[in-house]
Amino acid sequence: MPDCDSMRENMPLLLTESLDPARRELTHQHIETCPMCVAEWSAYKETWSILDTLPELDVPARVKQRFLAEVSPAVTPNVVPFRRRSAPRWLAQAAAAVIIAGGAFYGGHRMTPRVELTPTPATLVNVQPAPFYSIAESRVLPAASISPQIEGRPDIQNVQFTDASPSNDQIGVSFDITSHVTVTGRPTDKSMVRLLRYVLENEDKQSPSRSRAIDWVRSTYAHVGNPDPEITEALANVLRNDDNQGVRIKAADTLRSLQSTMTDGTRDALVEALKNDPNPAVRLKAVEALAKLARSGGNMDPDMVDTLRKKASQGDENVYVRVKAAEALSSIQPK
Amino acid sequence: MKHLSDQELMSIVQAGDFAPASEIYDRYSSRIYNFAYRFLKNSEAAEDATQEVFVKMLKHAGQFHGGAKLSTWLFSITANWCRDYLRKAENRSKDGEDVLITLPAPAELSPERHLERREDEQRIQKALTLLSPDQREAILLSRYQGLSYAEIAQISGCSEGAVKTRVFRAMEVLKKALTGDARGGDRCLTAIP
Ligand SMILES: [Zn+2]
Repeated sequence: MPDCDSMRENMPLLLTESLDPARRELTHQHIETCPMCVAEWSAYKETWSILDTLPELDVPARVKQRFLAEVSPAVTPNVVPFRRRSAPRWLAQAAAAVIIAGGAFYGGHRMTPRVELTPTPATLVNVQPAPFYSIAESRVLPAASISPQIEGRPDIQNVQFTDASPSNDQIGVSFDITSHVTVTGRPTDKSMVRLLRYVLENEDKQSPSRSRAIDWVRSTYAHVGNPDPEITEALANVLRNDDNQGVRIKAADTLRSLQSTMTDGTRDALVEALKNDPNPAVRLKAVEALAKLARSGGNMDPDMVDTLRKKASQGDENVYVRVKAAEALSSIQPK
Repeated sequence: MKHLSDQELMSIVQAGDFAPASEIYDRYSSRIYNFAYRFLKNSEAAEDATQEVFVKMLKHAGQFHGGAKLSTWLFSITANWCRDYLRKAENRSKDGEDVLITLPAPAELSPERHLERREDEQRIQKALTLLSPDQREAILLSRYQGLSYAEIAQISGCSEGAVKTRVFRAMEVLKKALTGDARGGDRCLTAIP
């Protein structure tokens, strides 16, 4: 029989879900059979959730000012809000109509030779519609000029994103195939959506840029009302399939923030994650997304409600997951 | 700059360009400030800590190893600063207790509910002062910053086993203070150092 003291030392680790499975099992078994420890365990859980009510404080703005003032002049000249030098809209339109023919390209790497563009009347775009290029085959520029269909399985590497700023409706995705390519376009352009979907679903699983890709998609589409469902579906696939728990956490959290376009498929992926994901933080993000969906009276189904009900009462589930599941249920029931 | 990873930003700083200072500050200042505030229970000191931690980060960027997590390194600097502050404070005459910052009431809270929440905050903050600095550091990093015991061990310069004991003891004290629980019996009482 393991002693009560060492079991109690494990309790905080049980609360943060950081015990290895064997010791977790052992501790749970002990708690269930030891009346002293069962009382102790419930007091631990209560304390832990009381601690959760401590609010996060905002850092007074003067602290940053003081910091930047202290490190200036080393910093000040450079500390301007980051903004890519953005091409005026006419430039993008001109690009759509003109540049690609020669196979020249711009953007992307600093090393790439720049092609000077001369302003072209916007009407030219209408007169001379840009041909479609497939990025599977050629270097392509504006999203408007590439086909929404990505052919084959291009081996894309070195993916970079530029300017998800709301003040400029152009975004860019750069990557290497045999050369470095930058595709520019609006976040709503179908070609851009497909490209992002492809990046999210196919980029090397080991690459740290997967996680950055999700960050970037999130900040880009935060400013776009009703993002294309293909984006949320791609995130749902990441949530289902990615081996990296950090990436799955981000995917679930991003789905929560973008859920104005939640499809049945994305909802099911969240329900699936809540049911089966081994990581409690992923389950927590999933249940938060579902709770938000429930609050907004969105697209629910019996399996979702059933899963929330089970989770709310599942004794060995993480306490926050249970609380969130219960919250979600309470916002459904009045209907 | 927002799209660069911590490591990428730090390598720019290491190359002598402080342009990422603002971005790194934006990423971590809230965590640093909240940790320092809860640790020291003093808003002025927490502001100083936050500012100086980031200055130190720039000055000593060369000591940051690309393999490490920036958060762990920043918390090491912060924890050092805070321990130092407490040591110096012990030598000074005991100042009065800092007044808790009043948070604006979120719109959905009734005045009663808001008052309740503020009382909760004061109760927790008070309970935290019952802990030894080591225990407080461990529980703040574990409970509020979500760091693993391995990371906390690195920050606190002790073994993972020591972190485990510190968090456990901290929880025993907090449990007693916050739930009025005496069920732990003798173990609970002897746990207070
Ligand atoms: Zn026991």
